Amino acid sequence: MKISTRGRYGLRAVIDLAMQEEECVSLAEIAARQDISFNYLESIFSYLRRAGIVIGTAGSLGGYTLSKTAAEMNLYDILKVLEGELSMTGSHEPENETDLRSFLREEVWDVIDKNIEEVLKKTTIKHMKEEFSKQEDSNFCAGL
Amino acid sequence: MKLSTKSRYALEGLAYIAIYSPNEAIRIKQIAEDTGITVAYLEQIFFLLKKAGLLLTVRGAKGGFLLAQSPKDITVGMVLRAIEHDLAPVKCVYDLESCTSKVRSSCVNRQIWVRLTNAIENTVDNITLEDLKVKYLKRKGDVT
Repeated sequence: MKISTRGRYGLRAVIDLAMQEEECVSLAEIAARQDISFNYLESIFSYLRRAGIVIGTAGSLGGYTLSKTAAEMNLYDILKVLEGELSMTGSHEPENETDLRSFLREEVWDVIDKNIEEVLKKTTIKHMKEEFSKQEDSNFCAGL
Repeated sequence: MKLSTKSRYALEGLAYIAIYSPNEAIRIKQIAEDTGITVAYLEQIFFLLKKAGLLLTVRGAKGGFLLAQSPKDITVGMVLRAIEHDLAPVKCVYDLESCTSKVRSSCVNRQIWVRLTNAIENTVDNITLEDLKVKYLKRKGDVT
């Protein structure tokens, strides 16, 4: 029951991207700020680009930008691309399940999935940005 | 983000006992026959559940496994933790030290992992074996 490295790094990179003022953000900058290897970030962004989460621009001033506003982009859409699958037990319908097993699927495993999905769908990149600035403010005050 | 098969079978094994043999010891062989889980796998799982204080072994002719607590005192969360250690989808939720990133003190992600952990824990800590038993028997009764 773990989120993969791709999921964790990818989400961090997308939030970092959303926090920048400039139009296009280079992967090298994200890599440096987030302490993620450039090559790994490139492979993650090729997934995100193909899935339409980010848009890439070529050229000397090129880089990446979010395909939607931060308020329109929720974490479920992003993690689904990065993780492939967010279900606790896999989404395919298994064959020849005993009554007890399908009962537990409906009453326990699907309920967990539904609650995870709910949290991720109602949390947008904008929420994450706001929470992060709050957290940084309190860190700053704690340091005073 | 899959839950291990071992965890799912642990809950299935205990739910089976709560439903079909709440007061008498039951042999693994019978649970294996009815659930389709192998004896060897159930033995491994029950060893962990016994260590976690959820099962007891009874020796003798009528020996086997017995729930160590009343079904209303055993939650799904207790069963899963007996197998998974903890229910956090990312290690940092319970152990920030385990994160090796240089930027961990200003992580943009951690909040969402904490919130996901809460969603998972709230779900599984509020379902008991008794709840499952009552619902399952009611459903069975409705069908026949």
